Amino acid sequence: MNEILTQEKSIYIQIREMIENDILRDILLEEERVPSTNELAKVYAINPATAAKGINLLVDEGILYKKRGIGMFVASGAKAQITARRRELFYNDYLKSLLEEAARLGITKKELIEMIASSCEEGVAAV
Amino acid sequence: MSSLIGKGITKTYGGKDVLRDVDLELEPNKIYGLIGRNGAGKTTLLSILTAQNPTTRGEVTYDGMPVWENPEALSHICFSRELGQMAGSSGANGAGLKVKDYLEIAETFLPHWDKEFAARLIKEFHLDVKKRINKLSKGMLSMVTVLVGLASKADFTFLDEPTSGLDVVAREKFYRILVEEYAETGRTFVISTHIIEEAADVFEEVILVDQGRLLLKENTQDLLERSFHISGRAEEVDAACAGLAVHHEERAGRGKGVTVLLEPGQSIDQSRDITVQSMNLQKVFVALCGEEEQEA
Repeated sequence: MNEILTQEKSIYIQIREMIENDILRDILLEEERVPSTNELAKVYAINPATAAKGINLLVDEGILYKKRGIGMFVASGAKAQITARRRELFYNDYLKSLLEEAARLGITKKELIEMIASSCEEGVAAV
Repeated sequence: MSSLIGKGITKTYGGKDVLRDVDLELEPNKIYGLIGRNGAGKTTLLSILTAQNPTTRGEVTYDGMPVWENPEALSHICFSRELGQMAGSSGANGAGLKVKDYLEIAETFLPHWDKEFAARLIKEFHLDVKKRINKLSKGMLSMVTVLVGLASKADFTFLDEPTSGLDVVAREKFYRILVEEYAETGRTFVISTHIIEEAADVFEEVILVDQGRLLLKENTQDLLERSFHISGRAEEVDAACAGLAVHHEERAGRGKGVTVLLEPGQSIDQSRDITVQSMNLQKVFVALCGEEEQEA
């Protein structure tokens, strides 16, 4: 939760992504409490209603769950679930724009595959 | 807690309407941002809502009671006005007083004054209470104004340009303290500002005033989610925006950019060769209020 907010995206989407990133990086562990809406609001100087909107998206997806009177917790299996969803979005979020730009620049399929292969070997993409 | 309601607020100075038929309901437990250009009527609106200024027509009520000369209603309301640096040494707004004297006066006038909170804020803002008001820098004047508003603990607290004189660090500190206080108490805050972007995330709703009229009052996120900038070849942009309310056209050669605010059920024709971008509050504000540029 130490990322900074940008103006590119809605704040509540960024709150959601930050929590997801922290779960993926094991900064937040499954069955662990996440910061409350008010805590998030204070840290980022945002309206608590906006922070709540981001949290609620994660609750709706079953990534977080509420323990009455205690707070929000990371559900078990959350990490796998986030990974699965991000894999589904990978084509639209990354690959599609990469292919479009490659086409505009006249980069062939073969060149593209070579580029990816050599980047992976050099460890640029840490795969 | 009850709402503060303004109905048909009109204010005329020397035959000129500064505010015209403003209807406004301020609900409990919200942070409102009041934005508008210079001379749009923001300060006049704030002073009328807090009964520091009478209306020419229209009325402001709290819990059904008119607020004008009503001590019960006014005990729930605080408008911490900007302190003038230029005010004479013993003139209006207590310019010749020391900060601590000014705070003591505030305490006698504000029934819910929180002394401990005031002391904490003095520390947080590194304010020297022994200084005279007319010897304070612009930033320190802003701090005193902010301090009085926050420590008033009034259910409805109005701040006019609270951050205008503050440096960036102090501004961030102010917004953090504001959100903390709001989260703990659910007080309503109405804050006017020209520094829109840094405040946009704090405002649950924005109130936009232009030329004495209420242009819109809407949930900030909802407004941003329906505001788009569309650009591309002029014909493509026109085709994509057919039937939509278009604001603020800018042209450059064959290209064109416009701002659209979608109404429910409307959409942009994405099959056209156009670039669609989401907007921040400042850009939406300029698109809605920055159109008339004929003369100074």
